[in-house]
Amino acid sequence: MPIIVNLDVMMAKRKISSGELAKIIDITPANLSVLKTGKAKAVRFTTLEKLCEALDCQPGDILEWRPEEK
Amino acid sequence: MWTDIRSLRLSVILVRILFVLIPVLVFCVPVMVHWYDVEYQDGVGLLTGSVYWPLSICLYLAAVCGEVCLYHLGRLLGNLSKEIVFTAKNVQHLRVISWCCLLAAIPFAGFGFWRFLSFIVALAAAFFGIILRVLKNVFDKAVALQEESDYTI
Repeated sequence: MPIIVNLDVMMAKRKISSGELAKIIDITPANLSVLKTGKAKAVRFTTLEKLCEALDCQPGDILEWRPEEK
Repeated sequence: MWTDIRSLRLSVILVRILFVLIPVLVFCVPVMVHWYDVEYQDGVGLLTGSVYWPLSICLYLAAVCGEVCLYHLGRLLGNLSKEIVFTAKNVQHLRVISWCCLLAAIPFAGFGFWRFLSFIVALAAAFFGIILRVLKNVFDKAVALQEESDYTI
């Protein structure tokens, strides 16, 4: 998928573990894993808002668009 | 009180009874067909003569379709009772059931040349197969929606 989720990069920058982040933004670790591995089909604005708040970043820091390789 | 669970259990029991009953009836086909051939010789159809072999072949083919259909129906009901509803497996079961109904219509359509009444059975089987095909397509869409919902975080 051309949308890349850079959640693990931001988590490493903020030195926060998956369990901690899942607890802060109130989602299950399994769902956070789906998001981190890029398996997610969509992200709710509310989840994105919580992620930005918890990681003190902008949506663009988490999501990135890369053109599909032909 | 009549509940969804009881309704599901009743369906499972009926499917299992029929699954056992069909092989038993298959063993009785020669006797039943012979009786029909002797008793109802004045049936209306394009072709005349004994219907022993045409009807036997028709019933054996329909029995195979019926058994396959019931096996998949049983699996489908089993999944439903486990609350597994909108999955690719269930779509596959519905697809097989639908094809079985459509295939079962062929021998009955063939036997219709000996007895016109058989065309009605063929039409009913084909119609049911088409309805199930539509249901299968609805399930297919539901599976896609369920997957999208599951992967929305």
